[in-house]
Amino acid sequence: MLADSSIVVLALPQIYRELDTSVAGVTWVLISFNLVMALAAVPAAHLARRVGPGRAAAVGLAVFAGASLACAVSDQLSTLIAARCVQALGGAAAVTAVLELLPATVGSERRATAIWATAGATGAALGPAAGGLLTELVSWQSIFLIQLPIALAAAAPILAVAKHEAATGVLSAELRQTGRPHLLANLALALVSAAIAGALFLLVLLLIEGWRLSPIGAAIVVSVMPLSALLGSRLDRLVASARARAAAGAILVSGGLGGLALLPKAEVALTLPPQVMVGIGLALVLSALTETALSGRSPQAIHGGWTISARHAGVVIGLLAVTPIFTHDIAQQRQDAIDAGTAVILDSRVPPLLKLDLAQKIESRLDDEKGKVPTIGPAFEPLPDDPAERDEVVQLRDELQEQLNRGATHAFSPSFGLAALIGLLSLIPIAMARRVEL
Amino acid sequence: MGEAVRSRVLVGGALVAAVVLVGVYLAAGGSSYTPEKTQDPCKHRAWRSPEGLQEIAQQFTLSALDGAACQLGVSRETLARALATPEGRERFMERYEIGDARLARAVRAGLLRAVDDAEEAGALNPLLAAPLRETLRNIPLDQAIELINNAESLLDNVQGFLGPAQSFLEQFLP
Repeated sequence: MLADSSIVVLALPQIYRELDTSVAGVTWVLISFNLVMALAAVPAAHLARRVGPGRAAAVGLAVFAGASLACAVSDQLSTLIAARCVQALGGAAAVTAVLELLPATVGSERRATAIWATAGATGAALGPAAGGLLTELVSWQSIFLIQLPIALAAAAPILAVAKHEAATGVLSAELRQTGRPHLLANLALALVSAAIAGALFLLVLLLIEGWRLSPIGAAIVVSVMPLSALLGSRLDRLVASARARAAAGAILVSGGLGGLALLPKAEVALTLPPQVMVGIGLALVLSALTETALSGRSPQAIHGGWTISARHAGVVIGLLAVTPIFTHDIAQQRQDAIDAGTAVILDSRVPPLLKLDLAQKIESRLDDEKGKVPTIGPAFEPLPDDPAERDEVVQLRDELQEQLNRGATHAFSPSFGLAALIGLLSLIPIAMARRVEL
Repeated sequence: MGEAVRSRVLVGGALVAAVVLVGVYLAAGGSSYTPEKTQDPCKHRAWRSPEGLQEIAQQFTLSALDGAACQLGVSRETLARALATPEGRERFMERYEIGDARLARAVRAGLLRAVDDAEEAGALNPLLAAPLRETLRNIPLDQAIELINNAESLLDNVQGFLGPAQSFLEQFLP
């Protein structure tokens, strides 16, 4: 569940094409889930305390599984979004209740908190790769279907706990006074989550929609982030100060996003150093802030609910902030790129009738792609028989594709820049939280 | 190494890494990796060495597109793609809310500008330019577009048709 948002990111381009919607529309598949999670996490945690975490987790997992099935069979954007909202309700109940159950399982609250925080960071980083593989090898529906057996498998041991709760009536004895949430840590968590959501969402769209990589190709590329997150979790153990880890993580996430905003060429290799920074950064900052928000606070489910709420609210803020900017920019840059490419053809020395033929084919290609960034190669097929003319046409094709690559890459720059800025803003609450040391 | 030092090294290292990455990408041209800007169609563009009928036809077409695009307030490239197919033209007219009459006026204006430019570049004899202008002022839209798309045949016909007349007239010129 903690990985859900990031798993779905890789499937968005395919959902966007199959359900015939807009980029802004398909973003609501993510926004709706995160919005409901943000709103429901704390009430769900209170509910878990009242009815028992075992029961709450079991019911939450069942709702999540049922809604996942509904997502998989949705053939319209509206039903998919509705199912995502129900999925998030179940997810909120399960995730917050599990945090209440963890200490008894792993031995201590501190260890439970660390495991839970690491699971959140790992889930966020691993999600895109898993989503990409499933989307391309099976279908976008499979990313929801696979959540069904996973949720049911997790429900089995939890049902035993629920039965134990019902038999022993331990609930009333465990109800304690709820302390105030750690505002600064949760605020920083929201801001960093907004930046990370921007990083994942925008990078996936840049790779698939801008540079025309397949979902599996994009999944392989973005796998650099979870691998780097593993490295980040090792650094995590070297420095005890949560504030230092949070600050370093936020700086790395923002620096990586700054690099993505300033890509000097449309080359996959150039996305790798920024991704390494974002990966290491997210492992450091998410675990440090989650531990900080939960440390010394009781009950864990309620404060875990606050961190879930903050993270998902951050994702919503991030998506709402970057989506209108890049959807506007991509339309403008696409037009500029096509104009620049057409200028190359018009100013070339190929025969006028060949120019006309190319202009016609490009226009048809744009029409076929319905406002998306087109692959321009087929517009130049078949190549002329005359070797000199063929060389010139190949050069024109490459120049036009280069202009499209420039346009697609540049269209994402302001959004990556904004996400980097949001990441930097998280340093303010991190710096203000002087008494957050663990 | 003490905890305070490790914390400073971690934050300082992150800061250095971020600054280096952004600096390297900026130095490599990250801020200027954008599509090249197209030229303003209202600005005059000098013809490049107009020699041979095909080259003159190319320049004539580009001038005509510039002139028409300038009148319509769009780029030369957008208009070139729009005029390439009837469907493209329909979409273009709908998108920019341009009627047949306005498009016809713009295309005729473009063709007249092309004649002016050809004359200025020494690619079209003034004796041919005058009757050509008269013809173009009243030409129907479809034919005007056809002329832009196939200027070579237009110029070939004009030269072929008026060529003997020009020789005849030149006998009477001072």
